[in-house]
Amino acid sequence: MGTGTEDGMIWSYLLDPANWTNPDGGILILLAQHIAYTVLSVLVAAVIGIPAGILIGHTGRGRFVGIGLSNAARAIPSLGLLVLVVTLLSNNIGPIIGVLAILALPPILTATAAGVSGADPEAVHAARALGMTGRQIIGKVEWPLALPLVISGLRSATLQVVATATIAAYVSAGGLGRLLISGQATANYPEMFAGAVLVAALAIVLDLVLGLIGWLAARRSSPGRAAEMAFAAGADAGQGDVGARPVSAST
Amino acid sequence: MIDWGWIQRNLAMIGSLLAEHVVLSIVPVLAAFVVSIPLGYLVFRTGRFANVVLAVFGVIYSIPSLALFVVMPVILNSKILDPINVAAALTIYSIALLVRSVVDGLRSVPSAVNSSAAAVGFGRTRQLFRVELPLAMPVIFAGLRVVTVSNIALVSVGAVIGIGALGELFTIGLNSGFLTPIYVGLVLSLLLALIADAIILLIQRGSLPWARGRRTA
Amino acid sequence: MTLSKRILSRRRALVAAGAGAAVFALAACGGGGDPLSDSSASPGGGGSGGGTVIVGSANFTESQVLGELYAQAIKAKGVDVQIKPGIGSREVYVKALQDNSISMIPEYTGNLLLYFDPQATATTEDEILASLPQAIGADLKVGEPSKAQDQDVYVVTKQTSEQSGITSLEDLEKISADSILGGPSELQDRAYGPPGLEKIYGATFKQFKPYDSPAVKVKDLNDNKIQVATFFTTDAAIPDNGYVMLEDPQSMILPQNVIPLMRADVASNTAAVDAVNAVQQALTTEELTALNKQVDVDHLSASEAAAEWLKAEGLA
Repeated sequence: MGTGTEDGMIWSYLLDPANWTNPDGGILILLAQHIAYTVLSVLVAAVIGIPAGILIGHTGRGRFVGIGLSNAARAIPSLGLLVLVVTLLSNNIGPIIGVLAILALPPILTATAAGVSGADPEAVHAARALGMTGRQIIGKVEWPLALPLVISGLRSATLQVVATATIAAYVSAGGLGRLLISGQATANYPEMFAGAVLVAALAIVLDLVLGLIGWLAARRSSPGRAAEMAFAAGADAGQGDVGARPVSAST
Repeated sequence: MIDWGWIQRNLAMIGSLLAEHVVLSIVPVLAAFVVSIPLGYLVFRTGRFANVVLAVFGVIYSIPSLALFVVMPVILNSKILDPINVAAALTIYSIALLVRSVVDGLRSVPSAVNSSAAAVGFGRTRQLFRVELPLAMPVIFAGLRVVTVSNIALVSVGAVIGIGALGELFTIGLNSGFLTPIYVGLVLSLLLALIADAIILLIQRGSLPWARGRRTA
Repeated sequence: MTLSKRILSRRRALVAAGAGAAVFALAACGGGGDPLSDSSASPGGGGSGGGTVIVGSANFTESQVLGELYAQAIKAKGVDVQIKPGIGSREVYVKALQDNSISMIPEYTGNLLLYFDPQATATTEDEILASLPQAIGADLKVGEPSKAQDQDVYVVTKQTSEQSGITSLEDLEKISADSILGGPSELQDRAYGPPGLEKIYGATFKQFKPYDSPAVKVKDLNDNKIQVATFFTTDAAIPDNGYVMLEDPQSMILPQNVIPLMRADVASNTAAVDAVNAVQQALTTEELTALNKQVDVDHLSASEAAAEWLKAEGLA
């Protein structure tokens, strides 16, 4: 029973197509589980975190709760939280998504709050001066300007979740971590290595994709654009000539 | 709910796990700090190219810790159950984060300050040590706090492959469906993070008197 | 920045990038030594020949209890002993034995034989014992076997047994196609695991779910997320949950008597070997089951449970 660590052999698990298509815990299935966990929990966290972040950022209230939460969340040992929830409840998909969403929430919340509150104050002033309601200000000015930061928050959250979902296999909940754990239990280093490479690759790909989306969003909301939007918003509100003033660089 | 008897009987084990945890999380931070200042300075001096390097470090940081723990034995030629794997992986993460802090910190120094220093006659090195670095410190310290707290949380993930310090309490709890060690592990881990964060903050306040009251990033 | 300074900084940047790339290239090539059997291994505290005995144990309760029993008994005889608990499965700890990271570990006669000689045809206790020395080779030795036995066993819940009429492994094919089997990940590669079930009893499961945590396995079995699971015959979970142990008429699972496996150089350390054999003679299946229960249900540590038993037996 070779351990397969001579050059090249370490890739043997990845290179065997049977390992990918095996209907009982093959790589494709584990990958699908991992992606499902990631998407679902970031979605749940976003549904809660983005509206809450907008509220905090727009009203300026509860800011310290937001920042404190983020710092505290970084200190939570993910394995501990996972084990606690599974022991108290079960390893069904619900509790697992719950844990992942709890870990994903803080980055999304603080990034959204920071983005909304840091939205170019000149643009916000202009919008207020035009008599726009709070909701209009959020929708037409603050949110578009906050978008790059919101996306960076989603990016951090996604990475956190991909990393924690790797541990889900430890509580028999599936995911790519299974390769790492089973591989170690049976001294099958190619399998362990396969797990590590796949998980790293998934994380890197998601990170780069979200980074790209964020970069595109940042380009769209460049300083000149902020002025445009205030101007256009003003036109929408039917106030006529606004006279766009030069605005300072937004975040 | 909590079995205090168990805690009492196992104080010695809990204590040694805690000590192991402190070592595994702090040593990487110290090592990274020593490496990151010169490395960060070099990266900073490359100007715009720095962004490429920082992007690469960002990619490294995005790799899940468990994956890195598992790959370390191959890179270091160490045994699978050797704690050095966890320590080395955490050092790499810490460097990835701290270099970014150093660069951000150095970038935050207003160029006017640098120009004045040069005008007054400071040489490059003197400028670096007496002006740029001290002014960059608040940002670097902020990064230090983030790295330390992250490391403390990440060490327990090693329990999945057998080297987890406080993480072993989670393993014990999970294997028997026993909540007490899990609570102990969580509480100690969070306390450790809190204390470490506070200590770094105190050091920062103490060594950078001019930065008191100044909000950092 | 003047032109010369710009060039200088660009050169520095290239050097830094080159160094970085080199590090990455080295890392990506991987390869190199086998991280699982480091031949330069020298465990902290020196090797085991004539000096410290290093007792290891696998990552389940009973193995850790046995490891503690051996280690504490040896220590009581005045021999230097170290304990390394919770090493992985057989593949991992046999390597650890061979590279001298540990010098002794509690084992089970049947599975040990199958590991070294997958083609072995021995089926009774005596046959297995007779075949062991040759199978394990000259570098390893076994101590005295104990009366205490512990087999892997397949179980179903009482409900499943009554509903589908399952009392023996032969009945499994009735439900296997729609059922999920749960067990430790290494079970998949074992002769008495899914491959054996297929070959000998004609039962192929829909899915195999690996479990690292016995408590989670019990929960899932009770919740009917899995229908069949493997346990050890000494597991407290079986009587506590009213599980039905499935009979094995074709002897797919061999008798497993507890037996210490050790390196040949430790086998010559008579004080240590005598201590361990005394434990072996005194141990029974009932007592082993009780010890496991103390750890799994009463939450004693393996070392505490072992200490109490050894004191009661007068062995420590």
